[in-house]
Amino acid sequence: MTMASDMHPPTSQKDMTGPVIEARGASKWFGSVVAVNDVSFQVYPGITGLLGPNGAGKTTLLHMIAGLTQPSEGEVSLLGKSPRDHFLVYRRVGIMSEHESIYGFYTGREFVEFSARLHGLNPLTPAVDRAIEMSGLTDSQDRPIHTYSRGMRQRIRLAATLVHDPEVLLLDEPLNGTDPRQRIEFQDLMRRFAGEGRTILISSHILEEIEVLAERILLMVGAKLAAAGDFRAIRSKLNERPYRVRLVCDNPRSMASALIRTDAVDSTTIETDGSLIILSHQVDAVQRHIPRLAQEQGIRLLRMEPLDESLESVFSYIVER
Amino acid sequence: MGPIFRLSLRQLARGRRLLVILALAILPIVIAAIVSASVGNDDWRDAGSVNNLWANLADAMLVAAILPIVAIALATAAFVEELEDRTLGYLVLKPLSRWRIVLPKLLAVITIAGPLLVVSGAAATLVILDGSLQAAVAIGIAVFGGVAAYAAIFIWAGLVSSRALAFGLIYVFLWEGLLSTFLGGVRYFSVRAYSLAILHGIDGNHFEALSGRVIEFPAGIAGVVAVTVVFFLLAVRRLQRMDVP
Repeated sequence: MTMASDMHPPTSQKDMTGPVIEARGASKWFGSVVAVNDVSFQVYPGITGLLGPNGAGKTTLLHMIAGLTQPSEGEVSLLGKSPRDHFLVYRRVGIMSEHESIYGFYTGREFVEFSARLHGLNPLTPAVDRAIEMSGLTDSQDRPIHTYSRGMRQRIRLAATLVHDPEVLLLDEPLNGTDPRQRIEFQDLMRRFAGEGRTILISSHILEEIEVLAERILLMVGAKLAAAGDFRAIRSKLNERPYRVRLVCDNPRSMASALIRTDAVDSTTIETDGSLIILSHQVDAVQRHIPRLAQEQGIRLLRMEPLDESLESVFSYIVER
Repeated sequence: MGPIFRLSLRQLARGRRLLVILALAILPIVIAAIVSASVGNDDWRDAGSVNNLWANLADAMLVAAILPIVAIALATAAFVEELEDRTLGYLVLKPLSRWRIVLPKLLAVITIAGPLLVVSGAAATLVILDGSLQAAVAIGIAVFGGVAAYAAIFIWAGLVSSRALAFGLIYVFLWEGLLSTFLGGVRYFSVRAYSLAILHGIDGNHFEALSGRVIEFPAGIAGVVAVTVVFFLLAVRRLQRMDVP
């Protein structure tokens, strides 16, 4: 895993251009609450995931990059400029916030046209047609948005974000509310954009969403940039993490001794309440062994639950490493 | 600028807000008709009492109450709803300077409130003052000036505070209602006083009853222009510097 200052793009990209997005010691606090704490990084063309649990500061960081929020300290630049002072930079940038509110009285097409007009596009129609087609909402474009499902709203918002053919995309939780098919289409679209040399920064609190898309990630935990760099290196740290399971059964001692004889379990502990805590690096094997052993030993299983599987704990584990 | 203007018209001119505004706008015409019917006596009219009565009613009912309430209801909603719904990002994340966002919002408020209140005031005046065109024009211009000034103030207030509506009502009651009535110096900083100065300046005959409490006509014109421009610029500056949710 590499830290922020070590996060480099492929040499060819870096030689050709400077960073598309750059933060230098950026912090943001609201009263006594620190939302983003002394963050520095650079983002180059390609897909970068902004990953972290809810409340980690991802949205505030994206807002600073987008120019919606002024850093309390430090600097953030987008295409070499502060968008708060250089609004023309938005001609080259498409931003989709996590807030799903939208003008419900517009039809889908009217909403995309509205965005296109504010970008000063002329002619309007081809760009609007193209964006709506990319979002897969051609058949529903003339329906009022208030009749759209949550997934359709996300897609029409994406169409409005893409209508001016931006070279930089900042997308905050863009897959919220979308179904599996829409996710695959979105992933294909982003990969195509990345292949065209665009810069895409996508935030998510779901590891798997980012895993299939991003080559590089920025990992936010507790308002700080915990890690930045190649996703695979960070993911390999995750795989080193032991898996903890709490098992409640009518004979924990027999189950513990049976489990420890298998290769799949690192250790077992019986808690004062009689529940059995199992530590293992082989999740699948443990899940197979427990019901088999229970049947063989005549042990009645009452409850089985994973421990520490919240994203916060997963991310904390990475940070501690 | 056109798309934001049209969007703002659609956002503002709908729902219960529009019904309340329409009801308030009709009120002066209804009251003028009732007053006119009940004081149809020629002697009463000759005494000029109708002029005095209408001058005082126009001030207390239209200029001091309905005008600011309608302006507050529309102007505070211009940005407060965008901020609460978190849709302001759709406007500010575009290659537009901030004045090109604030101006269409201001114009939308004026476009809705202005004609409604101008027609309301002018029609009521025509009903009660036996078709006096000069008085109707005077009240129309005075009300329009007030709409512009209040719209700018409360659009700015809507960007500064999420409680702009409450702030506006308190301001109108205390500053425009009480203080500008009893403290002469305050009138130079009062939109109500500017409107009354324009009203009296254009038609001093029908609105003679206001002469004891109006500032100079040029001061009224200058006040409306200054307040509108200054608060428009303050709103633009606020939108440039604020954190957009």
